[in-house]
Amino acid sequence: MAASAARGAVALRTKIGRPVAFVRKIPWTAASSELREHFAQFGHVRKCTVPFDKETGFHRGMGWVHFSSEEDLQNALQQEKHIIDGVKVIIFLYIITNFLYISRLEVSNDKDLGKFVTEVPLILVKEWWW
Amino acid sequence: MAALLRPARWLLRARAAPRLPLSLRLLASGPRRPHAAPCVPAARAGPVAGGILSQARPYAIAVEKNNFLQEEPTSHRRNTSQFDWALMRLDNSVRRTGRIPKTLLQKVFDNTCHSGSPGGNQALLLLRSCGSLLPELQLSERTEFAHRIWDKLQKLGTVYDVSHYNALLKVYLQNEYKFSPTDFLAKMEEANIQPNRVTYQRLIAAYCNAGDIEGASKILGFMKTKDLPVTEAVFSALVTGHARAGDIENAENILTVMKEAGIEPGPDTYLALLNAYAEKGDIDHVKQTLQKVEKSDLYLMDRDLLQIIFSFSKAGYSQYVPEILEKITHERRYIPVTEKLEDTAFQILLACAASREDHLSDFGSFFLRHCVTMNTPAEKLKDYCKKLKESQMHTSPLQITLQCALVANKTDLAKALMKALKEEGFPVRTHYFWPLLAGHQKEKNVQGIIEVLKAMHEIGVSPDQETYINYVFPSFNNAKSARAVLQENGCLPESTVFSQAELRSEAVNGNLAYILSFLESNTLPISSSSLRGSLSLGFRRCMDVNLWSKITELLYKDGRYCQEPPGPTEAVGYFLYNLIDSMSDSEVQAKEERLRQYFHQLKEMNVKITENIYRGIRNLLDSYHVPELIKDVNILVDREKIDSRKTMQLPSSVLESTLEKLKAENQPIGDVLRQLILALCSEENMEKALQLKAKYESDMVVGGYAALINLCCRHGNAEDALNLKQEFDRLDSSAVLDTSKYVGLVKVLGKHGKLQDAINILKEMKEKDVLIKDATLLSFFHILNGAALRGETETVKQLHEAIMTLGLAKPSTALSSPLVTLYLEKDDIGAALDITIDCYEKYKVLPRIHDILCKLIEKGETDLIQKAMNFVSQEQGEMTMLYDLFFAFLQTGNYKEAKKIIETPGIRARSTRLQWFCDKCISTNQVEVLEKLVELTQKLFECDRDQLYYSLLKLYKINGDWQRADGVWNKMQEENIIPRAKTLRLLAEILRNSNQEVPFDVPELWYEDEKHSVNPSPSHAEINIQKDLLKACRQKKNKDAHTIFLKAQKQNIVLDSETYSSLIKLLLEKDSLVEAVQVKEFAETHIKGFTLNDAANSLLIITQVRRDYLKEALTTLKMALDLKQIPSRVAVTRLIQACAMKGDVESIQEIQKMVNGLEHSIGLSNMVFINNIALAQIKNNNIDVAVENIENMLTSGSQTMEPQYFGLSYLFRKVIEEQMEPAFEKISIMAERLANQFAVYKPVTDLFLQLLDSGKVDDARALLQRCGAIAEQTSIFLVFCIRNSQRPGKASTLKSLLELIPELVEKEEVYTSAMKSCVLDKDAVSAKVLYENLIARNIKLNDLLLKRYAVLLKNAGEPVPFTEPPENVNFYRKQLRESRKDPL
Repeated sequence: MAASAARGAVALRTKIGRPVAFVRKIPWTAASSELREHFAQFGHVRKCTVPFDKETGFHRGMGWVHFSSEEDLQNALQQEKHIIDGVKVIIFLYIITNFLYISRLEVSNDKDLGKFVTEVPLILVKEWWW
Repeated sequence: MAALLRPARWLLRARAAPRLPLSLRLLASGPRRPHAAPCVPAARAGPVAGGILSQARPYAIAVEKNNFLQEEPTSHRRNTSQFDWALMRLDNSVRRTGRIPKTLLQKVFDNTCHSGSPGGNQALLLLRSCGSLLPELQLSERTEFAHRIWDKLQKLGTVYDVSHYNALLKVYLQNEYKFSPTDFLAKMEEANIQPNRVTYQRLIAAYCNAGDIEGASKILGFMKTKDLPVTEAVFSALVTGHARAGDIENAENILTVMKEAGIEPGPDTYLALLNAYAEKGDIDHVKQTLQKVEKSDLYLMDRDLLQIIFSFSKAGYSQYVPEILEKITHERRYIPVTEKLEDTAFQILLACAASREDHLSDFGSFFLRHCVTMNTPAEKLKDYCKKLKESQMHTSPLQITLQCALVANKTDLAKALMKALKEEGFPVRTHYFWPLLAGHQKEKNVQGIIEVLKAMHEIGVSPDQETYINYVFPSFNNAKSARAVLQENGCLPESTVFSQAELRSEAVNGNLAYILSFLESNTLPISSSSLRGSLSLGFRRCMDVNLWSKITELLYKDGRYCQEPPGPTEAVGYFLYNLIDSMSDSEVQAKEERLRQYFHQLKEMNVKITENIYRGIRNLLDSYHVPELIKDVNILVDREKIDSRKTMQLPSSVLESTLEKLKAENQPIGDVLRQLILALCSEENMEKALQLKAKYESDMVVGGYAALINLCCRHGNAEDALNLKQEFDRLDSSAVLDTSKYVGLVKVLGKHGKLQDAINILKEMKEKDVLIKDATLLSFFHILNGAALRGETETVKQLHEAIMTLGLAKPSTALSSPLVTLYLEKDDIGAALDITIDCYEKYKVLPRIHDILCKLIEKGETDLIQKAMNFVSQEQGEMTMLYDLFFAFLQTGNYKEAKKIIETPGIRARSTRLQWFCDKCISTNQVEVLEKLVELTQKLFECDRDQLYYSLLKLYKINGDWQRADGVWNKMQEENIIPRAKTLRLLAEILRNSNQEVPFDVPELWYEDEKHSVNPSPSHAEINIQKDLLKACRQKKNKDAHTIFLKAQKQNIVLDSETYSSLIKLLLEKDSLVEAVQVKEFAETHIKGFTLNDAANSLLIITQVRRDYLKEALTTLKMALDLKQIPSRVAVTRLIQACAMKGDVESIQEIQKMVNGLEHSIGLSNMVFINNIALAQIKNNNIDVAVENIENMLTSGSQTMEPQYFGLSYLFRKVIEEQMEPAFEKISIMAERLANQFAVYKPVTDLFLQLLDSGKVDDARALLQRCGAIAEQTSIFLVFCIRNSQRPGKASTLKSLLELIPELVEKEEVYTSAMKSCVLDKDAVSAKVLYENLIARNIKLNDLLLKRYAVLLKNAGEPVPFTEPPENVNFYRKQLRESRKDPL
C-alpha cells in the first residue's frame, strides 16, 4: 500500500508517457483479473480495465493494462504471442500525450517493412484512470 | 453439355470459385446448371450452390432485363449502389461461410425498407436469401421470412416480375413448403404476370416433391402447349416425383426417356435417383448407381454425397451414413444441420474435420451455435463438446456453447454448461452470469435475478460488487430493498461484498450520511483501500463538507479502517489524492471553497498526510488552475516525517542558522537570505518568510521578493502581496516579474476586492511589455470565470474592461464569456442576453449565445428568444440565427422544432458550425444529440454527410459502441454516401477493436490525410519509393533523392513526413534551397500538420540567410518559435549578423523580442544583440548612437551585462574588416575612454586583440602604449589564446601577441596554445623560437607539448634536440588531463 501510494504520486508527475498497453480480442471468458494475471508476468500491473456493456453483460473484447514502469510495458510488448484462455490476444502500446488524451502508437509487424509504429487517434482518457 | 460442364466443375472442385473475380464465378456457375438448379429437389440445392447462384443471378438479371432498370431512370443510380452494397454484404457472408446470418439478412431488409422504394433486384436478392442460405432458421421460419419480405416490399411499391415469383418458388422448394401450385399460378395470373419456363420447372418440382405425378404432368402439358423445352431439370424432378409416388421403377425409366429425348442424364438426374434410393433405404442400389456415375465422366461433389446422407438419415437409415461418408473427399464446405438431425450432422462434422489441413482454428462453433438455437438438450450438447474436444477439433467447445447459451439467454442450459465446465476443471467466473442478469434486468424480472443468484451460489461463484451494482440493484428501487428481497430468498452473502456494493451504490447517490452511519456501525473488516473509490464518488456527489470531514476523520482515527501498515497518514493521504484526481478541473474550481473548508477541518482534526502525497496533490491543483488551494493542503503535511534527503534544497532550519552565523560575523547575507526565503516559500511557510523579510529588509534582493509575492498570492494574502510588490518596485522600478507572478497578483487582488490595484498590475504588465502567452490568456479567463462563478460582477466587468482597453488580449468569445456567465449563474437570462448583445456591439463576439438560447428555450421565454433571434439575424444574418436556434433546440431535446428549423427553405450547410456542434457533442459525450443532428441534417443542402458521420463514429469509438458504428455504415449506404477513406478506416478500427469482422475493404494509404487516423497500409510501390528515397538521403545523394521525390509527386504518391524531413535536410545541407522549399511546400499541402523539426528549420534558416532571403529566414524563425521549437544558436546568430550587415536594426530587435526567454535554451548571449545592433546602427551611419548606447550600457548603474563579459570583438572585427574608418576611429576612442575614465578594460583589450588578429600589429602596439593596462588583462588573453589555438592560421597572431606582451609566455595556457597553433600551421620556425624562449625562461615543459613539438620538427625534417616522448599525442593529452583532475 505504501508502495502503491508513493507510486501514485510519482506517476502523477509523469502522467505523460504512462506505460499503458491496449489489449484487443480478449475472449469473452476473460475479464480484468485474467488480464492482470497474464500480464503480471511482465511486471507490476497497476491497473487493468475491461469495460463491460451493461446492456448485454458481455465485454467488448478490449481492455487496458496500466503498468508501473515503461520497462514492464516493454517486456510485455516484446513478447510475441499473448494467449489468454487459449485465445491469442493482440496488444498495443498506448502513449499518453497529455492529461486528457492518449494517443495510441500501434506497433505492427510487416513482412516488408519490419516493425513500424503508427499513431492512432486521441482518445478521451479520464474515465480510464484510477 | 458435359464438355462444357467439366471445366466449370473443375473450377469449383479446386475451390477456385470463391476467389475468382465475379465474372469468372459467373462462368463457373453459369454454364453448369443454367436452369437445372431451380428444379432440383429442395434438398438438392446446397447452400453453396445457392450462394453462388444468388450472387450470379441478380447480375444476370440486371443484364438481361436492363429494360427493367430503364423504367426507373431516376432511382437507377441510387438503387444500383444500394444494391451493390447489399450484394456485397450478403455475398461476403456467403463467400466466407456458405450461409447468411439471420441478423444480417434482417439488417439488409430493414435498410432496404428504409430506402423508400426498393428496386427490383434488391427484392430479388432478399427473397433469394430466404432459402437454404439461412440454415440457422427452421424451414417454416425461413418461408415466413420470405413472405414478410414479399408483402413488405410490395407495400413499399416494389414491382414484382416473373423473376420474383420464380425466386419465391425456389424458396418454397428449398424450404419444403407445402403450397398449391395451381393457386400460385392463379396468383401470378392475377398480377398479370406470365409464367415462364423456370416457373413451370419449379412447379413441376413442387408437385414431384409431393409425389404428385398427376399434377406434374398437368404442368408438363402446359409447357408442351407453349412449346417450352423440357430440360434435364424437369426430368430430374420427375425422377423424384415417381420415386416419391412409390414408383421407383418408373423413376428409373425416366433416364431412358431422357436419353431418347436426346438429353444425357447429368449429375442432377443421378442425384435425384440416388436420393430416391436413399429415401427407401436401398443402399445396394445407391452403391450401384454411384459406381455407374463414377464410371461415366460425371462427377458427384461432396455436397451431393452429403445430400444422400441427409436423405438416408431423414428416412431413418442412418446406419448407412458411414458408408457414404467414406466417399466424401472432404471439401470443407458446410454442414446441412437442420431438422433435428444433429447426430448425423455431427458425424459428418467429425468426418470433415478429420481431414482439414489447418489445425489452428476451432472447428464446429457454428454447429454448436445452431444446436443451441435449436434447443438441443444440454446432455447432448455436452456430449458433442466432449467429442469435439477429444478429436482436437475445438479447444474450447464448452465455452463457445456457453457463450451461445448466454447470448440466447438460456439460463438452464447455461447453468448446465457451467456445471460441466466446473467438472472439467475450468474456472467459472463471475462475469459469466452477467449476460443472464442483464437479460432479466431489462425486464426488471426480480425472480429471474434471484434465480441466477441462486444458480451462482449453487455453482459456487460468489457475486462481486460489480455484479450487485451493475446487474442486481438496477432492478430494485434501492440497495436496501434489494437486501431485503435477497435476504428473504436466502441469497444474501455472508461476506462484506454486499455491504460494499451497497455502500458504493449509496455513494453514487451522494448519500454520505448513510455511509457515515454505516462506517460507524460497521463490524465487518473493510480496508480503507477498498473504500477509496466509493468514497471519492460519494464526496463528489455530496456537498456537505462536515460529512466529508467526519468520514475522513473516522478513516484516519478508527482502528477498524486504516491502522494496519502503512497507517492512516499514507492511506488518508492517498485517499485525498484520489479524490482530487477523480475530479475535473472545473469541478475543483467550483468546489474550491468547500475543499478549503474541508482541509482546514481536517487540520483541526489533526489529520496528517505525507510530503510525497502533498506534492502529488500540489501538482494536481496546479494543473487544475487552483494553486490557491495548495497552501490549504500544505497545512496537512506531517512535518516530522519530511525526509530532507529527498528535497534538493537545504531545509530552512539549516539555512536559518547559516544566516544567523553570517550576520554575527558581519558577512554579506544576500544569497543565503534569498535561499532561505525560497526554502520557506516551498514549505509554504508564509508567516515565517514575511517575518524574515521584515527582519532583513535591507538585504533583500529582487529574486527573494518575487518568490515572496508569489507565496502571498498563493495564500490569498492580498495585503502583503501588494505591499511586497510596492517594496519590490522601490528596490528596482525597472525590474520585471515573470508573467505568471503578475497574473497571480491580478488574481489575488481581484479576489480580495482590490480592484484598482489589480487593474494597476494589468497596466504595469502593458507598460513593461510582459510576454502574454496562450497560458496567460487562459489564466485571464480563469480569473474572470472564477469571479463570475462567485458572482463578483464588478470584478469581472472591470478586469475584463481593463484587459480589453489595455490591449493585453484580443477580444474573444472565451474571454468575454464570464461576463455572461455572471448572469447565467444567477439565472437572469434576460440580463445575460443583454450582456452578450453588448459584447457584440463592443467586441464583435457573441459569448455563450448557445447556452443562453438553451436556457431560454428550457424556460419557454418566447419574447426573449425572439429578441435574441432578431439581434443575431440582424447582425450576423438569418442563416447564423437559424443555426443558433437549431443547435439550441437540439441541445434541449426539442427535436421536432430543430427539424422545422433545419428544413427552412434556402438553408445551407455551414460546415464550421456543424463541426463545432459535433465537437461539442463529442467532448460532452452526447450521443443522442449528435445522432439527432446527423439525422436531421440528412436533407440539408450541401451538407458534408461523410464528415458528420465521421464525427458520429468518433463518438461511438470513444464509447466502444461498435453496434451503432455498424449502424452508421448501413445508414451511409442508405443515404448513398460514398465514405471517405478516413471514415472507413475509423469504422474499420471500431469494428476490429470489438472483434467484429470488417465488412468492407479498408482503403489503403501510406500516410493519412488526417494526422490522427488509423492503420495506414501502404502499397508496395509506395514502400519501395519511400525506401529508395531514404536510402538516397542516407547516402547523401541529393540529386537522386530529389528525382525520386519528383517521380513520386508525379504519381501523386504521398510519402510520410519523416521521409520529407530527411529529404529537406539533405537538400538544405547541399544548399539546394529552391528544391528544399519545393519539397516542403508539397509536404505541407499533402500532410496535415506537417512541420519541419528544430534542426531542419535551423538548417533552412541558415540556407536562407546564405542565399540572402532574410525576410523568409525571419518568417521561418518565427514559425519555428511558434511551434515551440528551439532553433540552433548558429541559425539565429547568422540571421542576426546578416540583418546587422544590412543595417536592419528593426529585424534584430524583432528577433530579440521573439527569442526573449529562450536565450538560455538557444545558448544566445545578449552580446550578440548588442554587437549587431551597434553594427547595424553603424551601417546606417548612426555611429554616435551606437557608441552612446554601448557606453551607457557599460557605465550606467543598471548593467545588463557584467563588464568582464562585455565582449565587443565581433563589432570591432567587422568594423576593421569592412574598413569603416570613421566608425573605427569613434569606437577606438570609446574603448580608450572606457578604459581611462571608467576602468572598463574589456573593450579596449578586445580592440587590441582584434587589431592583432587583423595583422595591424603597429596599431595594436600604439594602442598598448597609450593604454598600458591592456597588458594586465591576463584572463582575457588566456581565453583568446585557447580559442585561437583551435583554429588554423593563428600562429602568427599568437606570435605577435607574445612579442608585444612577452611576459605572457610564462602562462602555461598561453605557451601550450602557441605551440598548438604552430603545430596546426606547421610553422616550425615560430615553434623553435617559442621553444627556445621557454627553455631560456627555465619553464618545465610537459610531455604533450614536447611530443607535439617533436612531431612538428620531424615532419619538417629537422632533428629533435631532446628525447622524444615515446607514446602518441593522445596518450599525453589523456595523461595531462588525468593529472589536472587529480592534483596528486
